[in-house]
Amino acid sequence: MKVVYKSEFYTLYQSKKDRYHYLDMGQKTVRLSFCQLLALRHKVLSIPIENHFDSYSNQHGFEVLMLCNKEHLFVLNTLEVLDLKNLVENSLSAMGVSSKSVLLLQ
Amino acid sequence: MKDIARQNMSIKVESMDLLNGQIKMEAHASAIYLAMASWCEQNGFFTSAKFFYKQTEEERGHMMKIFQFLVDVGGNPISPEVKNINHDYSSIVDVFETTLEHEVAVTKSIHNIVLKARELGDITTERFLDWFVLEQVEEENTIRDILDMIEVTGTEGVGLQMIDNKVNDWME
Repeated sequence: MKVVYKSEFYTLYQSKKDRYHYLDMGQKTVRLSFCQLLALRHKVLSIPIENHFDSYSNQHGFEVLMLCNKEHLFVLNTLEVLDLKNLVENSLSAMGVSSKSVLLLQ
Repeated sequence: MKDIARQNMSIKVESMDLLNGQIKMEAHASAIYLAMASWCEQNGFFTSAKFFYKQTEEERGHMMKIFQFLVDVGGNPISPEVKNINHDYSSIVDVFETTLEHEVAVTKSIHNIVLKARELGDITTERFLDWFVLEQVEEENTIRDILDMIEVTGTEGVGLQMIDNKVNDWME
């Protein structure tokens, strides 16, 4: 498998055998079709990160993220959310379908 | 290695995001026109109400056209959340002036996506929006003509009734 993009906590791979991407989330690896990758991008980019710094909006600073039609469930902290935002944006840029390149976390 | 991303999607993700924003704007316009139809019904402007029922369907049609385009190019169309719909208008003139303001905002938004698509070299999106650019010319022109008619007719005496009857001319 070829690495598309590696962030602090996560790595996205593209398979050489099938038409899927594989996202190594640390605890487990998730197989994603391109549609599911776009859906992941939408979910991750829709997370209002500013709420993590407001104890009324998000008291504990965690996000519950369900992927691939509720097949996978992840609980992410603020740094992990930022890192995942970073990964999805830069992965699509590396694939040539986005001109945007961002660095939200270093 | 296969270019899976390009094989699955024909446009840039930035264009997809902007088109999803446009889907939301068209859905919002559809909801606003429905609120205007409601106002017209409650205030005795029954022909204008029919005009706005037609407008609400048209805007939904625009929304679905973009939605289907995103499906066709392998994108991720998002069903929009619509809120903050104003139901209060001071007069029928206020209703049509607000409509024109909204159509101008839609036109600006379409032009912005065209320019961004051009900047990205996304010819597919740019050509798709050709229809919307011309459609907006027609939409703005219709409302401008109605506002001109309102000005000529005046709102005194039976003016309001005449205005409502004349709106029928733009319902073809």
